[in-house]
Amino acid sequence: MADLLSGQLLIAALVLAGIYGLVALGLNLIYGTMRLLNVAHGEILMLGGYLAYWCFTLTGVGPIWSMFLALVLAGGFGAVVYRTLCRRVLRSARLIEQIEANSLLVLFGVSIILQNAIALSFTATARAYPYLDDIVRIGGFQVTADRLVVLGIGLALCFAVILFFRFSGTGLAIRALIEQPDAAHLVGVDVERMRTIAFALGFGIAGVAGCLISMLEQVSPFMGFPFTIAAFIVIILGGLGNIAGGLAGAAVLALIEVYGVALTSASMRSILIYGVFIAILVWRPQGLFGRRSVVR
Amino acid sequence: MSPPCFAALLALSAAAFAGIPFLAGDYAIGVALNLLMWIALTQSWVVLSAMTGYVSLGHAVFFGAGAYAMVLCFGSLPFWASVIVAGGATGLLALVVGYPCLRVRGPYFVILTFGLAELVKFVVINIEAALGQFGRLLFGGPGLAEIFYVVLALAAASAAITYSVRRSRFGAGLRAIRENEEAAETLGIDVARYKVLAFALSAVVPGMVGAAMVMRTTYFEPLDLFNPITSFTIVSIAIIGGGDDVPGPVYGAFFLVLLQEMLWANWPEIYMILLGALLVAFVLGVPDGIHGRIASWRRARG
Repeated sequence: MADLLSGQLLIAALVLAGIYGLVALGLNLIYGTMRLLNVAHGEILMLGGYLAYWCFTLTGVGPIWSMFLALVLAGGFGAVVYRTLCRRVLRSARLIEQIEANSLLVLFGVSIILQNAIALSFTATARAYPYLDDIVRIGGFQVTADRLVVLGIGLALCFAVILFFRFSGTGLAIRALIEQPDAAHLVGVDVERMRTIAFALGFGIAGVAGCLISMLEQVSPFMGFPFTIAAFIVIILGGLGNIAGGLAGAAVLALIEVYGVALTSASMRSILIYGVFIAILVWRPQGLFGRRSVVR
Repeated sequence: MSPPCFAALLALSAAAFAGIPFLAGDYAIGVALNLLMWIALTQSWVVLSAMTGYVSLGHAVFFGAGAYAMVLCFGSLPFWASVIVAGGATGLLALVVGYPCLRVRGPYFVILTFGLAELVKFVVINIEAALGQFGRLLFGGPGLAEIFYVVLALAAASAAITYSVRRSRFGAGLRAIRENEEAAETLGIDVARYKVLAFALSAVVPGMVGAAMVMRTTYFEPLDLFNPITSFTIVSIAIIGGGDDVPGPVYGAFFLVLLQEMLWANWPEIYMILLGALLVAFVLGVPDGIHGRIASWRRARG
């Protein structure tokens, strides 16, 4: 039991919460503005991880810098995916429920394509690189520097997004779109433009999250899906469009995962994640529609 | 197509397939077996997902659970009896998980079924690890021809099930749920019971197919038998084939097996990329699938 009270686990949970919060943030944006479940979200993260890996391995540029490149590239990719694929789903489907199921299948197709394109280009081997892995002592805790950097950047980015939604015109327009799509359209919000921006921003944040995760974990073509699932859990817990709630949800999930694994064994990790996921969906069958919340 | 017509066509196709083990070599039998397997799996999927609109992205769970039931029965029961036990077990599994799962709708149901299949996969992996088993070898099982005939029978049965459900009161109720669940309930359809029954019905044959196919590989490995690619392939075949009737899965399965034969062995990644691209293209461009295209082409010709 003494191990459970150590700072090591607490820091691990905090870092994981920061990552989950960041991944869920992007998913939340896309879901909120379009009611589109982006199942390819984890694959964007995987692409970000590969970008960071190759930047570091080939040119020695660290993920702290390559994450800006990831933001731009993943964001651009998001805008393209929205303009070419998702808009067509919205137009072609007969029923609203069909739109959602169809868009999910389309994005699932995209994620299969991305996984296998990366596996084809770089093989399925998991890859990692050493970066900032010296140990730092804070008080009684020992922690590697990369974890602190990930935690710091993750929190800073979440904070920046909260500020963006509170103060910038674009942020306010996107919030309006999440809360009252029809009313936002009536008062002159350019819906198409805002959706494209939300998609680009959502993908961009996922790309950055991928760069950060590549500092801590190995990257592999099939690493993405568990993160997508984790992000779904976080936004169901935290509430639609609710960024602060999302951070709280991320903390809850990270605590369950880290302490659950510490109490049982590492092989229980997937069972825990999927078990929590299924329990939450069955408990809230209306999915994310259940609570209307505000971006704070 | 009228029932006698359908019965005759089904009997003819089954007879044609039944001749394959006498005429062809092991490779051709394997290809035909593969084709029949995908037809059986996709027909079963259609009963639930195409008819009710509850798209399951987790049918691998029944395939894998059936295979696991076979593994547990192996040695104590004859092959055919184990196949039946596997079907009963997966049907029961569907009844148990069906009620809570089918309250979840639309895209949440899709992702829930995927998560459920992954959860069961990891549970089985952990059970096997706790039992000290790491992949089981299954020696002394049935031969290729015996497996072939069992899967042939399952494919024929699943086509007959799809045909008769599609034309029954029950099937009309399922399609009413797809079009408007609230309205269906108002009209007196016991929506919850219909959905759970369709779920169970769509689970039995995949369980039996999984049980038969694990004897083909003679090796039980949860990661292979609960592979999400199986679920993904079923959905792709159904979307490419199109519709909520018997022909769609048949067209889709022929198309897919052709693609598999050309690419899978040498270029698995390109095969998967192409399959993903086809899924995207058919959902966006040809939502009624090959079956729908053929039907409208026929109508246009009069």
